Amino acid sequence: MAVAGGTKWSMIRPFLVLFLLHTLAIYFFTRGFLLTRTELDSFSHCSDLAQSPCSLPFPNSPSDAPVKSNFTAGERPKDRGCWTTPSVDRLVIIVLDALRFDFVAPSTFFKDKKPWMDKLRVLQKLASEEGLSARIFKAIADPPTTSLQRLKGLTTGGLPTFIDVGNSFGAPAIVEDNLMHQLVKNGKRVLMMGDDTWMQLFPDHFNISYPYPSFDVKDLDTVDNGVIEHLIPSLYKEDWDVLIAHFLGVDHAGHIFGVESEQMINKLEQYNRILEEVVNVLKNQSGAGSLHENTFLIVMGDHGQTTNGDHGGGTAEEVETSVFAMSLKSSPTSISSVLDSDFCHPDLYGKRLCIGIFEQLDFAVTISALLGLPFPFGSIGHVDAELYALSARTWESEGTNTDGCEVLSDLAAWKQNYLKALCINSWQVQRYIDLYSTTSVIGLPLEDLYHVAQLYSEAQSSWSDTMNISCLHGDMGNNILDSLDSSFQQQIDAYSNYLRSVSKLARSAWTEFDLSFMGVGFIFMLISLGFHLVSIRRLSMLCQPYYGGMDVFGIRFSLVSAFLLVAIRAASFLSNSYILAEGRVASFLLSTAGILRLWCSISNWKFPTYELLLLFLNTIIRHGIVAGMLKETSGSTSLFTFYKFIFHTDEKDPMLIVLTYSLPIISLSILAIMISRFLSATSSRMCYRYILFIGTICSYVLISLHWVSEGGLMPSFTFLQYIGKNLAPRLVYAIGFGLLVPSVLSQFLVNGMKKSTENLSISALGLVSSWSSTIIILLGKQGPFAVLIFVSGAWCIVRSSRLESKRRDLGVLIIDPTTVIQWSLLAVCLFFYTGHWCAFDGLRYGAAFIGFDHFNIIRQGFLLAIDTFGVSHILPILGIPFIVILKLQNSNKRVSVDNIFLSLTQVFLIYGLITSTTTTLTIVCVAIQRRHLMVWGLFAPKYVFDAIGLLLTDVLILMASLYYY
Amino acid sequence: MDNGEIAVSKALALHLLCTLGLAAGFFAAGIAYNLSLVTDPAQTLSFLLVFETPIVVASYSFVRRDHDRPYWEAVSMALFGLPVGALLNALGAIVLGAPVGPKYWISTIYWSCLMSLFTFVPAVCVFGWSRMDWQRIIANSKPKQATDCLVSLPAQGAIVGAWLGAWPMPLDWEMPWQEWPICVTYGAIAGYIVGMILSTVFVHVMKNHPHVKDD
Repeated sequence: MAVAGGTKWSMIRPFLVLFLLHTLAIYFFTRGFLLTRTELDSFSHCSDLAQSPCSLPFPNSPSDAPVKSNFTAGERPKDRGCWTTPSVDRLVIIVLDALRFDFVAPSTFFKDKKPWMDKLRVLQKLASEEGLSARIFKAIADPPTTSLQRLKGLTTGGLPTFIDVGNSFGAPAIVEDNLMHQLVKNGKRVLMMGDDTWMQLFPDHFNISYPYPSFDVKDLDTVDNGVIEHLIPSLYKEDWDVLIAHFLGVDHAGHIFGVESEQMINKLEQYNRILEEVVNVLKNQSGAGSLHENTFLIVMGDHGQTTNGDHGGGTAEEVETSVFAMSLKSSPTSISSVLDSDFCHPDLYGKRLCIGIFEQLDFAVTISALLGLPFPFGSIGHVDAELYALSARTWESEGTNTDGCEVLSDLAAWKQNYLKALCINSWQVQRYIDLYSTTSVIGLPLEDLYHVAQLYSEAQSSWSDTMNISCLHGDMGNNILDSLDSSFQQQIDAYSNYLRSVSKLARSAWTEFDLSFMGVGFIFMLISLGFHLVSIRRLSMLCQPYYGGMDVFGIRFSLVSAFLLVAIRAASFLSNSYILAEGRVASFLLSTAGILRLWCSISNWKFPTYELLLLFLNTIIRHGIVAGMLKETSGSTSLFTFYKFIFHTDEKDPMLIVLTYSLPIISLSILAIMISRFLSATSSRMCYRYILFIGTICSYVLISLHWVSEGGLMPSFTFLQYIGKNLAPRLVYAIGFGLLVPSVLSQFLVNGMKKSTENLSISALGLVSSWSSTIIILLGKQGPFAVLIFVSGAWCIVRSSRLESKRRDLGVLIIDPTTVIQWSLLAVCLFFYTGHWCAFDGLRYGAAFIGFDHFNIIRQGFLLAIDTFGVSHILPILGIPFIVILKLQNSNKRVSVDNIFLSLTQVFLIYGLITSTTTTLTIVCVAIQRRHLMVWGLFAPKYVFDAIGLLLTDVLILMASLYYY
Repeated sequence: MDNGEIAVSKALALHLLCTLGLAAGFFAAGIAYNLSLVTDPAQTLSFLLVFETPIVVASYSFVRRDHDRPYWEAVSMALFGLPVGALLNALGAIVLGAPVGPKYWISTIYWSCLMSLFTFVPAVCVFGWSRMDWQRIIANSKPKQATDCLVSLPAQGAIVGAWLGAWPMPLDWEMPWQEWPICVTYGAIAGYIVGMILSTVFVHVMKNHPHVKDD
């Protein structure tokens, strides 16, 4: 079969098919796996209440009109509240990070008594002795159960997902409407102490804050001691309305020592003492007119933890945490009919203790209702009846008796108040759902939306009737009171039913994986793998006439070692540790492959120059990867850190400054020399070669100019400075693009061009060198060295494989697969060497602004993509023809041109096979580990990077094959 | 006769001696200084070296291929081969990712000496500098003689074991033995012992099917 014009397409077709298969696979898997939610930037305002149907039934009530006027005047709503009547004046929230449910609940609630139980005795005592004002809840968190996501969920009342599409990309600060925002907007003064995650989320919401660093997991006490230092004195002060104290010790003790450790028990006992003190201080000042007359205390966990101290996933141990709530004013005794008594056991002293169930989703809206704030816009929670009932003031009738409505019983008055809150709650949730489904990127399922809307309209239509009944009957007997009570209850049920279906819908959209979509994606991936294998096999059949003679042992050894290398690398993604250490694993495998080659070469009694050089280069790469992992700041390059690492100098060292400028420029010159040597070695296409040479040299000079001006070494010439800073990079991009155009044109227009090895090598060189300058300037000063390592490493890989091909011809494969695998491992190593890693904070955002000062999503995104994938995907794939060229050039056989292209296709296919095998295993591992604690921290970003890498590989191979054939 | 032939009992005794040497090293370190590989790798490795070096050198020199060479020559070559082998092993380890730095020098040196005892020293003792033998061993074509097995299988076992032993190192179990070179040493010793068992079996098989070697 000859490769003439007609069969060009037959060689490209498999790449097209593979690209389509991979696109489908990634699309389906992503649909099922990556949960996305759009952040809306709308906020709730006090005045919004006028739009709600909830204020209608009280036309004469004094509680409405003043509220509105209050806010139009922009005054602080001291007493009347805003959406609901405030029933709590001051709020103390004590967050104990990673508080398991069984830390709080008495051990009688569990099958076995464990050493860590019953340590927070003070809470149990309060809950059982003062059941009218204090209660323990089992709180259910929504995964991902990490502190940051949970705090976000608690304050916004939403369900944070892996990708919250919004303006906060990169910075963690919450842009959605949230409890803190409402507190600040409505004039509440917030005091925060403890975990500094709060400061990241709410950078300027706190009046006073005492943040302590949370990143040092081994430090059990700094944060806690800091909080203790400020907590008790603050309780005597008047300068706050809401106090947040976030303790971290239990979380850290769990991470380091586990739940069953001495340290954990000590921490819990310490908390018990502190809580005792807090309760005492509050109680001492709870008399009428005192500081804490109407204070509400909440002690809560943000999430649980496993017995090993892990959290992040969705297992019962991780999502079950606890809330303890206490009001300093007792509610009337009829509260017992509101409080749920399904989950009761005798406590340690034999007294009956009941525990409520609380969804963390409901936290934001319940607290807002208690404080009389507008509910956060995106909250989908529902005002929790039990927590709401604990606050004594919710039992007071709202003075409706003056306008003819009867004096209601305690319970009926409470239900009326609660109903009003629920009505506003439902209206606010429906408003959010309506806006979300019209504006979000991926909306919610239509039939579910319809169902929810129907429930809402049913509930709202009966609202005014219910409220009117309460006022119509002037005096009434007991039976009418009963019917009133039951109609209130019906209305409450209607609202609760509606709110429950909304949260169910939201959970299914935002926290549940769609396994069938994931399965379909996986099946497409498997099909693509099969297609890969079949195509490689077909090509081998085509090639067999050219290469006779099979050495079964040689093939087997080569294939087995190649297969093992890929399999080990792919299987390593099952563990989060290996994903973290992926660069080192790749370098380990590259070394292993290199040592195997070295061994082969020694056993042939040849001096292994190239193999040794490759091992040496790999050692440099590995040190770069390790140094890159140590660095925290994105500004410094890994090369730079490497010097510091070796010589233990600081940045002021003059030697270091000289090195940081001279070494990149020296490596750049070496690269230029290499290109010119290679160009002068060929003889055809004179004109194109000159253009290529001049263009590359120009851009290298411009790159050097850019670095020198960036470094501020020539402060006086502002003009040069300007050229160097912004113009030079833009010129480099332009030249890079400009060089691509003649390459492509000459390839397509000059159709009669002889397809020869030499032509192929010039085309490949043109492509690689025109891309290289852009990639180098984006990578910064480490760029030339990284590219130099790539070029020399690639050279060594190809050279060292030559020996083997002389010894034995591989019958099945034209090209030894280990060469291709080394090539791809080298690419992976360089990805990590250049300071990237598979996480969004591993992107080098600075690179996107080289040559530009202003942000433009397309332009900057494009530059960032080139920086991220340049040295690990673009250069290696475009450089693949060199494997074939060098190998066939140096073998003694006369090789026909057709054969070159057949082997090129095969190498492309093998390279694609390697990438898709690792991606397939990534998909499998991500699917298996979807409930793992690091799924959002590690596995999901890894999946995103791999998926993009795979599609990019396909596109590049497709482009390259179009260009080269 | 006996160019490269060896009695099964002799092979077994040799391997037992080597295993005993390691065990004695561990035992002595544990008894005398209450050391283990985990608490103080460098010291324990030095104990292992003290016990294992004389045993390996003496016993492998005893089964040297070329019995015309005097015994002391084999021993002295082995002692010369120890640092050379250690250097090769250390370079291999560093290429594969062993940490470099003042903190690790001592243990890396001891570890590579131990690896040299497992891999390079026996070969030097048995083969001397005979190019033919070395080439055959490296090329790993089918072992033709019993001594080849005796040298190459434990060595290969130790190398593969050490390679596998490196895998737990990046895991986040935060165990003290995940440090360099503890688990790699464990892997190497395990591989070495497996290799020794295999080599005894092979020597036995070769004895019973002597014509295999003619193929």
